[in-house]
Amino acid sequence: MRVSLPHMGNIHIPLKTAFQELGVEMVVPPPNSRRTLSLGAKYSPESVCIPFKITLGNFIEALEMGADTLVMAAGPGLCRFGYYAKLQEQVLKDMGYDFQMITTELFESKIVGVAKLLKRLSNNAPMPKIVGTLRFGLAKLGAMDEVERVVHQVRAVELEKGTATSVFRECLVAMEAASDYAALNCVKASYIQKLRDVAADPEGNPVKVGIIGEFYVVLEPFSNMDVEVELGKMGVEVHRTTFVSEWTKFSLFLNAFGMSEKEKIHQAALPYLARDVGGDGWETIGEIVLHTGQYDGMVHLAPFTCMPEVIAQNIMPSIKEDMPVLTLICDEQMGKAGMMTRLEAFVDLLRRRRNARVAAGRLR
Amino acid sequence: MTRVGIPRALLYYQYYPMWKTFFDGLGANIIVSSPTSKKALAAGAARVVAETCLPVKAFCGHVLELRDMRCDYVFVPSIRSIDTSAYNCSKFLGLPDIVKAVIPDCPPVIEPDIDINKGKKELFTSIYATARKFTWNPLRVKEAAEAAWQVHENYQRLLRFGKMALPEALEAITGDSQRGPHDSKEARPSTEFNATVAVIGHPYMVYDSYINHKLIERLQNLGVRALTAEMATTEELDAGIQRLIGKAYWTYEDEITGAGGHYLASDVDGVISITAFGCGPDSVMIDVIQRSSKKGDGKPFMSLTIDEHTAEAGLVTRLEAFTDMLRRRKRRLAAVN
Repeated sequence: MRVSLPHMGNIHIPLKTAFQELGVEMVVPPPNSRRTLSLGAKYSPESVCIPFKITLGNFIEALEMGADTLVMAAGPGLCRFGYYAKLQEQVLKDMGYDFQMITTELFESKIVGVAKLLKRLSNNAPMPKIVGTLRFGLAKLGAMDEVERVVHQVRAVELEKGTATSVFRECLVAMEAASDYAALNCVKASYIQKLRDVAADPEGNPVKVGIIGEFYVVLEPFSNMDVEVELGKMGVEVHRTTFVSEWTKFSLFLNAFGMSEKEKIHQAALPYLARDVGGDGWETIGEIVLHTGQYDGMVHLAPFTCMPEVIAQNIMPSIKEDMPVLTLICDEQMGKAGMMTRLEAFVDLLRRRRNARVAAGRLR
Repeated sequence: MTRVGIPRALLYYQYYPMWKTFFDGLGANIIVSSPTSKKALAAGAARVVAETCLPVKAFCGHVLELRDMRCDYVFVPSIRSIDTSAYNCSKFLGLPDIVKAVIPDCPPVIEPDIDINKGKKELFTSIYATARKFTWNPLRVKEAAEAAWQVHENYQRLLRFGKMALPEALEAITGDSQRGPHDSKEARPSTEFNATVAVIGHPYMVYDSYINHKLIERLQNLGVRALTAEMATTEELDAGIQRLIGKAYWTYEDEITGAGGHYLASDVDGVISITAFGCGPDSVMIDVIQRSSKKGDGKPFMSLTIDEHTAEAGLVTRLEAFTDMLRRRKRRLAAVN
């Protein structure tokens, strides 16, 4: 069995560790590229959203590499995502590929579903081993995200642009090799130290921008044209709530005990959006309200025709809190130059606003 | 008397008889916006972001009209689910929130949450909360709700078994004329039909003759009988869903998938789908239907995507070409047999 999963950020690293541990052969699809997207877009329904197209492209490239088992999340949700797996299976079968598609009902069976999936893939490995692997995989995920948070801060103030990004790249390679908790902690600590040691602009007082929007386009840099790196280069400190580790922590475990980290965000959204509209629409509105005063502005990422985010976009102008938002729509027609121009203009605007406030003595 | 505005858009086509009976029973005065017009659509489209789907733009136009008619309330329910573990498109969930956010000086919105999956108690609470604005008497609410449900069932029976076209059934049940300024003045043409086509799409696309550029009437004028999802029985629709995707996934998408699955396997000459640009559920399901139409003996299938810019001439050309092709195919099949 040669198993493959689509890319989303760096999740393939902990997944690969887990699969290796369980003796499952994993085919990591080539990193997302123009080819991935073109292939995906070519065989996808025209007006489906970009996450569908890129993940389909991943599957095609994985099948080309000889994968025979594809894993995808599924289940009835409030947006199209829940139906992706079924349609992608049909598309790939119509293209003539021979494979089996395994779907996991992530949203219904939570962590148990993931454990069951691993058990199935690993040909009935003993449960304690699966639980152990899963725990280590999640620890790795958490460590990666912890380092990435530091990267976001350093990028904004580093003197030589691009240093933090390249340190992070090295870190990911080291993380991939780490095979026990001691090694993992060591890698984490040493790279956080390395990042802290990057020469920083002492005068640096970076503009703070929150990243909000649809889960996939926020987490997959290829789909948003590296918006975080580009903002970092412009001297912007990027903040986001959406991390895979955060999501797994709550969605897979704690929600089962009735705890939701999103409670606060939803409360904040209530005056403008009174109910869950599927996807991340509610959180988008909530975060804008919640972070007013903390961040200078927000960059809102949404796939073209994303249903929940369209609702959020319609509601944004009615938000009374004073928070500039730049919406970037991600699809295969997106051009980097256009995005850069808009980002530069937006960051300029945020700086001017901040300077005006400082001059008025309202901020520091 | 309290004036409650109901926009003639989106779920109006499925539920108007029910809603009307309910509010009548509570002693409210129902105001329905006039059929979609160029002005209403333009006004609605100007209020929302460009990416929003056409029916929601039209909906906002209708709400604007109701606002100008000085309604005391507008009725915009948030329908989350009407079937176990099948959910609705985000836009139906967030509809009241969109309306409140984009319509300036919007009258108070009556926004019950309908979620069958939360159980009957929640549903009843929601109905009573809606009625509270009109009466304190729970018996009266119960009566009105039961009468409304009865009317809804009658309406469904007229459609599914009476094989009545939806606008006619609406007219028969509510007594409100469904003839808009865009429909021709005389009765529908009784030309000899020489082909049958299934038109699949959401009722607000199929029956809003402004939005779809009089699609049904045009087909009839071309001598084509048009069948719609509402003319199939619930069992037929369920079988269609079973055939295509296994189990229902989206509420209100059943009329697309079910009808697609049902009519592709039936003896109609062709299938036309009509969908709004940017419709999320359709983008997936129309593709499933299209894939299925290519398999087996292959049934002619045409997909029409409509937005507020659609030029009528382009649509007419495609309709004519499609019906020509259907007739040619029919002749050829007859010759082979």
